[in-house]
Amino acid sequence: MLQKHFYVIILVFSLLRSAGAQERVDFNRDVRPILAAACFHCHGPDANHREADLRLDDRANAHADRDGSPVIVAGDPSSSTIWQRITSEDEDERMPPLETKKELSTAQRDIIRRWLEQGAVYDTHWSFQAAERPALPTIQRVESATNPIDYFVLAGLEKRGRKPTKQADRETIIRRVTFDLTGLPPTLEEIDRFLDDTQPHAYERLVERLLSSQAFGERMALTWMDAARYGDTSVYHADGPRNMWPWRDWVINAYNNNKPFDEFTIEQLAGDLIPGDDVRAKIASGFNRNHGTTDEGGAIDEEYRVEYVVDRVKTVSTIWLGLTMECGQCHDHKYDPLTQREYYQFFAFFNQTEDRGMQTRNGNAKPFVDVPNFRDQRLLKEREPVLATATRALASRRSAAESSFQSWQSTTEPDLRRLPPNDAVAHLPLDAAKTAEYRDLVNSDGKITANGETESVQAHHGRGLKLQAKGFLEVSAVGDFDNDDEFSYGAWLKLAKNSSGAAIAKMDTAQSFRGYDLHVQGRKFAAHIIHSWPDKAIKVVTKKDFAPNQWRHVFVTYDGSSKASGVKLYVDGKEEEWTIEQDGLTSTIRTDKQLRIGRREKGSEFRGEIDDIYLFERTLSPEEITAISGRDPIQPILKIATGDRTADQVNILRDHYLNTIDEKYIVLRKTQERISKEVDALRKPITTVMVMKDMGKPRMTHILERGSYASPRKDEAIEPGTPAFLHTSDQYPKSRLGMAQWLVDPKNPLTARVTVNRYWYQLFGHGLVESMEDFGSQGSFPSHPELLDWLAVEFIESDWNVKHIWRTIVTSSTYRQSSRVDKEQVPSDPANLLLARGPRFRLSGEAIRDQALAVSGLLVRQLGGPGVKPYQPAGLWNEVSLSGNVRFKQDSGEKLYRRGMYTYWKRSAPAPTYMIFDAPTREKCAVRRARTNTPLQALVTLNDEQFIEASRVFAQRVLSDGGATWEEQAVFAYRLATSRRPTDLAIRVIRRVWQSEKTKYTARPDLADLLLKIGDYPLGKQDKTDLAAWSIVANLLLNLDQTLTRE
Amino acid sequence: MDPIAVAHQNLTRRQLLSHAGRLCIGGAAFQQLLNAEQPVHAAGLPQLPHFRPQAKRVIYLFFSGGPSNIDTFDFKPALRNIHGTELPESIRNGQRLTGMTSGQKAFPCVAPMFKFQKHGQHGTYVSELLPQIASIVDEITILKTVNTEAINHDPAITFINTGTQQLGRPSMGAWLSYGLGSMNEDLPAYVVMISKGRGQSQALYSRLWGSGFLPSRHQGVRFRSGTDPVLFLANPPGIEADTRRRMLDGLAELNQENLDRFGDPETQARIAQYELAFRMQTSVPNLMDLSSEPKNVLDLYGPNAGKPGTFASNCILARRMAERGVSFIQLFHRGWDQHGNLPKLLRFQCEDIDHPAAGLVKDLKQRGMLDDTLVICGGEFGRTIYSQGALTENNHGRDHHGRCFTTWMAGAGVKRGFEYGVTDDYCYNIVRDPVHIRDLSATVLHQLGIDYKRLTFKHQGLEHRPTGVEPCRVVKEILV
Repeated sequence: MLQKHFYVIILVFSLLRSAGAQERVDFNRDVRPILAAACFHCHGPDANHREADLRLDDRANAHADRDGSPVIVAGDPSSSTIWQRITSEDEDERMPPLETKKELSTAQRDIIRRWLEQGAVYDTHWSFQAAERPALPTIQRVESATNPIDYFVLAGLEKRGRKPTKQADRETIIRRVTFDLTGLPPTLEEIDRFLDDTQPHAYERLVERLLSSQAFGERMALTWMDAARYGDTSVYHADGPRNMWPWRDWVINAYNNNKPFDEFTIEQLAGDLIPGDDVRAKIASGFNRNHGTTDEGGAIDEEYRVEYVVDRVKTVSTIWLGLTMECGQCHDHKYDPLTQREYYQFFAFFNQTEDRGMQTRNGNAKPFVDVPNFRDQRLLKEREPVLATATRALASRRSAAESSFQSWQSTTEPDLRRLPPNDAVAHLPLDAAKTAEYRDLVNSDGKITANGETESVQAHHGRGLKLQAKGFLEVSAVGDFDNDDEFSYGAWLKLAKNSSGAAIAKMDTAQSFRGYDLHVQGRKFAAHIIHSWPDKAIKVVTKKDFAPNQWRHVFVTYDGSSKASGVKLYVDGKEEEWTIEQDGLTSTIRTDKQLRIGRREKGSEFRGEIDDIYLFERTLSPEEITAISGRDPIQPILKIATGDRTADQVNILRDHYLNTIDEKYIVLRKTQERISKEVDALRKPITTVMVMKDMGKPRMTHILERGSYASPRKDEAIEPGTPAFLHTSDQYPKSRLGMAQWLVDPKNPLTARVTVNRYWYQLFGHGLVESMEDFGSQGSFPSHPELLDWLAVEFIESDWNVKHIWRTIVTSSTYRQSSRVDKEQVPSDPANLLLARGPRFRLSGEAIRDQALAVSGLLVRQLGGPGVKPYQPAGLWNEVSLSGNVRFKQDSGEKLYRRGMYTYWKRSAPAPTYMIFDAPTREKCAVRRARTNTPLQALVTLNDEQFIEASRVFAQRVLSDGGATWEEQAVFAYRLATSRRPTDLAIRVIRRVWQSEKTKYTARPDLADLLLKIGDYPLGKQDKTDLAAWSIVANLLLNLDQTLTRE
Repeated sequence: MDPIAVAHQNLTRRQLLSHAGRLCIGGAAFQQLLNAEQPVHAAGLPQLPHFRPQAKRVIYLFFSGGPSNIDTFDFKPALRNIHGTELPESIRNGQRLTGMTSGQKAFPCVAPMFKFQKHGQHGTYVSELLPQIASIVDEITILKTVNTEAINHDPAITFINTGTQQLGRPSMGAWLSYGLGSMNEDLPAYVVMISKGRGQSQALYSRLWGSGFLPSRHQGVRFRSGTDPVLFLANPPGIEADTRRRMLDGLAELNQENLDRFGDPETQARIAQYELAFRMQTSVPNLMDLSSEPKNVLDLYGPNAGKPGTFASNCILARRMAERGVSFIQLFHRGWDQHGNLPKLLRFQCEDIDHPAAGLVKDLKQRGMLDDTLVICGGEFGRTIYSQGALTENNHGRDHHGRCFTTWMAGAGVKRGFEYGVTDDYCYNIVRDPVHIRDLSATVLHQLGIDYKRLTFKHQGLEHRPTGVEPCRVVKEILV
């Protein structure tokens, strides 16, 4: 970046030189930058730090008379205090003061002098003036221009006596534009089709194809993810996982559908506030939940909540306005006319949201919304009618089967074995409204006493008993069984979270637990039958766990054998597998203690609900237990005479008949259920995504003293609002929605300029305004102001048509120039700010990896979905993670070969392959990436497992698809990597490397084996020494300057 | 003559080179590519250093988690008298507490459960946990009044390493790489190594050694133990050095062809980039190979010196890097967050670092390198005098404390055998000579010949500097 500033300096100097010293100075281009850098800090917008009540950013103040000693006298430098002070010989007098170390150069002073001479004219800062569409300049080389962009660029070149470079050849331009619009290399078929397309407008057709490919959205989204600080983790402290990828997928789709930039803006900043409750717009509002959040135990909630709001202001002002608004957090802006109050007015738009300072380290923090399965909406639309048809077919079969059902129901006899037994020795239905009124239906003489906290509550059918602290029932004179008796007992139970205890027990705890019980043990059921605990006892426990808070029918049968094998446990009418814990019962279990519901004689208190208790003096059959549990409602109904059955009972029989006897119905039902399940799955939300949501009652905003959350100036409430120096927002609601609409108001002088400037940067490697993040007075002056304005107006007037702007730029002659560097022109314009040649720069880390996957054929082109975890060196997460226990778990299969933009982004330890290639950590908004060349990058593409595997699979592809001869294979490989035909030299070098390595691996097949083992992708069947040698060639080709660079 | 033309001419060849044509790992440069009459190093800012530096390099031993100042250096016998008494409100004085102890009902003070003895010529108290450091107490300056506003790990460790609690700013090492460049073109200017103790490990983040808004080549490069000390350094299995060499020769030839065709200096840089990578494949393993270190040197660093990945091993590597011209070497040792079980866990942590840290200072000294190597040793904050959780006869914890904590420094013009700053009877507040962590940074920069006010980078319209916008000062009192 510094080096770019430096080039700007050179350019500006050369512009001035060529234009001659007497040319009029331009306040915005020439003077404001000097005043901003050297003077505004003390003589600028910040009222609190203003010296001598002088504002050099304000014409009226600067030109004021000041009791006869004016700072500025138009046309007369020597009478102007400003000139006297900046040229003073006296170090104490001279401005800027020595200690600020902002000394003015001779050249800068000269500009000030000429400005004063020429009348000290002021002008509103250029970027705060609305853009107007400039007239096209007159140029000589009209034939070199394709569209208006070229007029502005050529005018600049011609003014300096320079020429554009010739247009790039077809092999070069298809590679350039394919990478620029999709982030991927062109395939050989695409190249050949383009080279063979002799019709006019072949290039324009190519551009259309690329703009409509799904990869366009992916490429655009990647840059937007940097700006929107997108990540798959929460950043602060534990940096735990979260699911924001549905937001990222929304962005991809928005670009692919060419959503106008104004809508794109409004939905992301205020999608939750748009009337209509559109879930997609809500997902879009996740934009402002992408920031880092904390979960640190000691953190103070408000401190972080404020931090998040500050982050939103900074992100929005950087991306849309190109302003450094964050300066206003602590004081009035030093350089731009933004007061601290205005900062907090803007802050107030974002200060109304529900989300808290302390969030989670595991998943999404509130507020969030369910994300419907958009991807399969079309499938859902297809399947829904199929389901309706299947459901109708089922209904018509139901009618058609009615007569056969009627004959079945009148002729079928009940199966007596399946009827509930009527020989219980005790049955406590527990249906009374008061526990005092409980009765044993069998043994009406028996006494039931309620103790402790017992309560009659609504049970699964009828009422039941709820037992709380020390609550239990005692039932007299029942259940007096011995170890050689057969008996069965059980009830309906509803477990609480911790119900452990005896639900039914007749047990003398004082006498080594003699007796029996039905015991709840955590989430398992158990039966004890005990002479003396533990060795002379039976204990069996279910293997399965049963979740609490559901009614379950639990029954124990015992056959009097004194063996564990004689005990069965039934849950919901089904015999459960159990584990034997004790099996040594030898003699009597008889005790004179009474039967208790909810505890033993002492202790083992059961907490939960219980209903319908039965005791039998025999072993019940499985069918009887099913009948008791109500799981077989059919037999009792069949027992009723046909004419006496109620409508409900007939319905139960009909369902039973259709579902178990009518074969046609059974087939139709299975089909319908399958489709129904499928449709249900498609309707199910796939995940959640965090969204913006304003509080019901707005939060009051105050100015924060020095920006600190702990020092609000409570005496004054700040209402939401936009800065006064920009266009008005009076016509919009004072909400985030209104703020977003204001951002994309056509009168906004910044949004369109800032946005097209970023597009330009993406295509040319530098913006028309070099300081992409700062369009304020400290920012750079545009290299082509008219071009910037033309593009901005074009953007707005095309209804913010993103693809239109991209199409316009990439079809210009300026863009299509060859990037060949003319040795003559480099010294005068090394950064190519004048655009006399095509842009040439290194690809991003993502594109370099995607390219390796694409040319090897590994690339999986699935769009969207959760982040993926391809290869990365072991240990990188846990070496830095909280307590060292967050480990990276590598994915397998297709997830290893997705595009780089889908790589799981852990922001405390991001994937090194991309970090080494200058990716930002995405902890904060970043609208530019550096493009460095370091040896660490060379090591990635030489040695990273992903690239070695890609080299090997590339080799497999060359050998299988590359043609019959070695030469054909070499050309195929070279073209895949570089998109162009090899020169003779290239073929010679490839042959030499191939030959030497073929020799080496033939001598050392063990090394070939080692090399070919790398990576999960299956090894080809080709000769191993061939594969190894071609892998080395492939590795070489993937590291070529031409491969890593887009010309 | 046209003054602007003069200004243009004044943009010297040297500035052009240092800005336009450089290629770096971290900050290493390749002036020779452009036929410059340059020294081997450079590629920093032309105006740096601002004045004659005392330190050529910095080794920063960073103890992550918040080591207890009270149990190591900031001892006063009167602490024994307040043991078990409630922390007076007049001392706490409205200090905000972390969410971990703000709900605690009692705040009983805890005197160290360790013995302290006076050491060195000035009778400096050092805990029994640090016998080796006690033996070099006459070499070091102990600052007892370092302080920070942050009270939780993430903000505190971000603050001390990047100059602010906000995210996105460059780390100190990145600033130095940017300002001073590198002294060795085969190695990065800024190296980070991490080791783990037995206590609770707080998280680290790449931002702690990140480049923030500076060009990303200035980010710290992590060196790790194992076959790939630098990520992706080793050739993959099955590719031997001769194969790699032949492949790189072919690559260079084809890149040269591309250079001839497009004439872009970036291609020239690319050719050099691959050669440097190849050289690193030899130079880095050499650097990491401790087999040439004699036993008496290894012994200086204690019994773990030969175990890769330990703090001791990292300390020797730090010395070896210092010898080879790495200018900022930062070791993170984790596990200093003793909210509970402090008497046991702090002992483990001190065992890890005592011998190696003292050994490093001794080793640098015996090689004559301590004179121009600045060693810094400390964490992101200290710990409270009061117990977190119950205070029992032999156990307690301590919560985070930012109002005062201890850092020690040695070498490169820092006073020898010196203590600076006084805390109150409760080791809770500063009585005299506060050193804000920004002051600490300013002082480190000063020793490197940098005026912290003049090392700036313009980002988003502001001239940023490593110490941020708040005022700070160089702590001249600790300098010779």
